[in-house]
Amino acid sequence: MITHRRVAVTGLGLVSPFGGGVDQFFEQLMAGKSAVRFLTTDDKPRSLAMPFVTCQGFDPQQRLGKPLASMMERFAHLGLAAAFDAWADAGFEHRPERVGDRTNWGCVWGTALGGILAFERGYRDMWQNGRERLSPLSVLMGMNNAVNAHLSIQLALGGVSMTHTVACASSSVAIGEAFRRVRSGESTVMVTGGSDATQAYGVARAWEAMRLVAVGDEETSPTACRPFAADRGGLVLGEGGAALVLEDWDHAVARGARIHAELLGYGTNCDRSHLVRPDSLGQSGALTSALKDAGLSPTDIHYVNAHGTATAEGDPIEIEALKLVFGDVAHRLPVSSTKSMHGHLLGAAGAIEALVTVLALREQSIPPTAQLQGRLDPLCEGVDHVFEGRRRVPMRAAISSSFAFGGSNAVLVFRSAQISTH
Amino acid sequence: MQSIELIREFLRDRLGVLPEALVPSAQLVDLGVDSLMFAELLFEAEDRLGISIEATKTPPQSIGEMATMLDEILAAKAAS
Repeated sequence: MITHRRVAVTGLGLVSPFGGGVDQFFEQLMAGKSAVRFLTTDDKPRSLAMPFVTCQGFDPQQRLGKPLASMMERFAHLGLAAAFDAWADAGFEHRPERVGDRTNWGCVWGTALGGILAFERGYRDMWQNGRERLSPLSVLMGMNNAVNAHLSIQLALGGVSMTHTVACASSSVAIGEAFRRVRSGESTVMVTGGSDATQAYGVARAWEAMRLVAVGDEETSPTACRPFAADRGGLVLGEGGAALVLEDWDHAVARGARIHAELLGYGTNCDRSHLVRPDSLGQSGALTSALKDAGLSPTDIHYVNAHGTATAEGDPIEIEALKLVFGDVAHRLPVSSTKSMHGHLLGAAGAIEALVTVLALREQSIPPTAQLQGRLDPLCEGVDHVFEGRRRVPMRAAISSSFAFGGSNAVLVFRSAQISTH
Repeated sequence: MQSIELIREFLRDRLGVLPEALVPSAQLVDLGVDSLMFAELLFEAEDRLGISIEATKTPPQSIGEMATMLDEILAAKAAS
């Protein structure tokens, strides 16, 4: 018989675009504050000028120390800083005296772009600035598994160490796969999450060319991302990193750890139909399988942190998928897309949204979709859209979903720790 | 820039070596310079000093030997 261990979330960490830590980040979201700003760069041949979310106050050298910081690229800076925060939050030291205790502990990370900036800088140096060679460290800075590799060394994790790349579902998949390892008993503790440095010049230009990115200027950028709104104009790219520590429930209880929430279920599948057009049948299939995995029914779910990118095509399809799964109770299902405030972190989106979902359950508070009040698209009606932050909402369980280019869907189901500690 | 200063700065910034350990007799391997960081150190020296270090050079073992090697290459370059 398959034994299932319960999985506790005992650590949360992120690099916040607002500055400050996890709790301040959540308060900004509850207040509907947008971190989106107008970004201009001095890139050649033409500068970037678009709404964007940047972690401006983040100083990798100060957070990680110069020797470690100089070994890695920005997506790894963001990832390590977030993971170190989560690790400290969980109450673990970096390298214990007895590393043998961590032989089955591991790291599963998510990133869409990985170390692309290492090579982008290299190409720029060679092709624009006439340099003929690259630092030997470029290889290690550019490898997409840099975050899990550094974390396993820094935190003495002897178990599985790997990175998933599944476009915008990368870190939801990473968290789900990490969850399965703790639940099966293979790993006692996993550090997981995702990070992406989305400001790569070629990437930003390519997204622009797809006509999926919202336009804006100094004045309009903060409100440029409007998921589910009739006048939505596309997604806003953001950089960042977020991490969760997943831990065997009994192990967490035995050491007196603070349990933020329980990770209860994970569902992943593929639309198997189109590279970029999402499919409500595929999405509803992932939602249903996640609920089944969690042993819950639709009436148990009291909040959905939606993928909600604010693209014309994607938003109504996601609402349609929710209506397929939640049926009669869909109209009273609170739904919000916090991308309206922290932007779309691509491979880190699932991680930052999982973190928001955990905090929502812990604080029994639902963050809103900013900029949606008075603008709801009739095509997106049928669920309980959250226009303003709601506090003291009794919630048992909540969902975070990610739907990627390529048709990969990943859904995570969390349960409130207050209710589940009986 | 003096060769010795370049080496000291690299070891301090990139490997976190404490200033008091940065003596000429210190062995590079004892300061944490593995094959990767040695390649990076050579790369940085070539870049910042505008020199080329031949692959056939016998690898220096200590800070002092490394500085001597770089000084010799710089002197040869200045003379040519």
